Amino acid sequence: MTRLTRRGLLGTTAVLGVGLMAAPHVLRAQSRPKVVVIGGGAAGATVAKYVARDSKGAIEVALVEPKETYTTCFYSNLYLAGWRTLESITHRYVNLVQKYGVVHYRDMAVDVDTGKKVVRLASGRELPYDKLVVAPGIDFRYEAIEGYDEAAAMDMPHAYQAGEQTALLRAQLEAMEDGGTVVIAPPPNPYRCPPGPYERTSLIANYLKKHKPKSKIVVCDPKDKFSKQALFQDAWQRYYEGMIEWIPGELGGRVVKVDTKEMTVTLEGGDVIKASVANIIPPQKAGWIAHRAGLTDDSGWCPIDPDSMASRVARDVYVLGDASIASKMPKSGFAANSQAKVVAMDIRHQLLGDRRFPARYRNTCWSSVADDDAVKVGASYKAGETMIEVVDKFISKVDEPPEVRAQTRAEADAWYESITQDIFA
Amino acid sequence: MTRARAITAVLAGSIFWWMVAEGRAEGDPAYGEYLANECTACHPPDVTDGVIPPLWLLPTDYFIDALRAYRSGERENPVMQAVARALGDEEIESLAAYFADLREQKGGS
Repeated sequence: MTRLTRRGLLGTTAVLGVGLMAAPHVLRAQSRPKVVVIGGGAAGATVAKYVARDSKGAIEVALVEPKETYTTCFYSNLYLAGWRTLESITHRYVNLVQKYGVVHYRDMAVDVDTGKKVVRLASGRELPYDKLVVAPGIDFRYEAIEGYDEAAAMDMPHAYQAGEQTALLRAQLEAMEDGGTVVIAPPPNPYRCPPGPYERTSLIANYLKKHKPKSKIVVCDPKDKFSKQALFQDAWQRYYEGMIEWIPGELGGRVVKVDTKEMTVTLEGGDVIKASVANIIPPQKAGWIAHRAGLTDDSGWCPIDPDSMASRVARDVYVLGDASIASKMPKSGFAANSQAKVVAMDIRHQLLGDRRFPARYRNTCWSSVADDDAVKVGASYKAGETMIEVVDKFISKVDEPPEVRAQTRAEADAWYESITQDIFA
Repeated sequence: MTRARAITAVLAGSIFWWMVAEGRAEGDPAYGEYLANECTACHPPDVTDGVIPPLWLLPTDYFIDALRAYRSGERENPVMQAVARALGDEEIESLAAYFADLREQKGGS
């Protein structure tokens, strides 16, 4: 979609035969408040859609996202298992543009001037804003593991930004010999999708058990405990007995060095593991542009106001999703989508005077552990004085009957279809 | 129609309309619309083959009763129990009012 400018429009009116009828629209278009959203993931795309849709065109919404499509990191483990295609977890921005009038700049944000309220793009274009939404997701701390950088990720994929990396890991698993060793190295806290590496362990085991049953998985963890631990370990025991070894941080499980030529992984405890496939997920921080815009604190993440997800550092800027410090809320697609709705409401309130309601947040994370078995964890949250606080929470139980687990598995699929429609349709 | 049947029919009709009206009169659809944003993360906008139903399709009284039953723990599903425990009567009625409006817009009865 091209941008509506007075010059562009006057140049085309004769051809279109619209005549002067369009003139008031042009004037209105130019005076509309502007929202710029950086990042087209679960957080950014939801804000863009909700602001554009619910303001009924009264707010001009620009989405800055270089990619034409978005492959969700959530559900990418099901692709690794061979259960889903990559296409089935890849979504387009076409509805946001055509149904709601969002202007999609397929460009990279390279700078933000929060004083002058302008975003600069790689192409040199400048986008002024009344409200800026920064939702860049995560970046990796490549300096943390010796030998692991962007180039090494082509041999030992992190597959923690979905798309090419996920396809690479899947191809390596398919090419691996039966009897090989898969190393999975989860990151230290905080990181995107806390149960993600352990769901991945379960689903790679699911694939290996069916196709390469002599293979093994070694999980080299810097942590001593992890999300839904009892549920995952119970599933590993029941479905994949003898296939999965988990080395916690206290037993020297942290990966300190990799050698992509030798395909070896060196652990803090001194062990050197020869891997057939190595999935190294490095420590994380907020996406690059958040640092560039000066929105991060010493932790490498962005402090926010719990009632609105507004930046605590810069005025008229919101940070949400994985890049934000949402205290008890995990970094998840569900959480990002939930935060986005509070941000969209706050933006409409600030720019149009629409009604404002108290912030409410929610998260649910489903994790599949076997063909007909999934578990879930979730919580409701509210804005406390200084941070987002838990109101209520739940988690699946270890001794649930199989029909409950099968129902949870079906529920996860239904959720995925709904949330991706909520974001992209 | 006998007199008793007529009275029964009138009563049943009144109760039905009272129940429908209750959800609409007391709830604030604008508040319900905001609250419904929590629902759309899981509930689809239209009928699908999935196990999660579109909410506008549920009759108002059923919708209200179901949320209250989840809230009390009488109905099972930990996700919905946690959702419902975060909702007061005002929130449940506002959601019901919003979904009733949505049903009308979609041409349902």
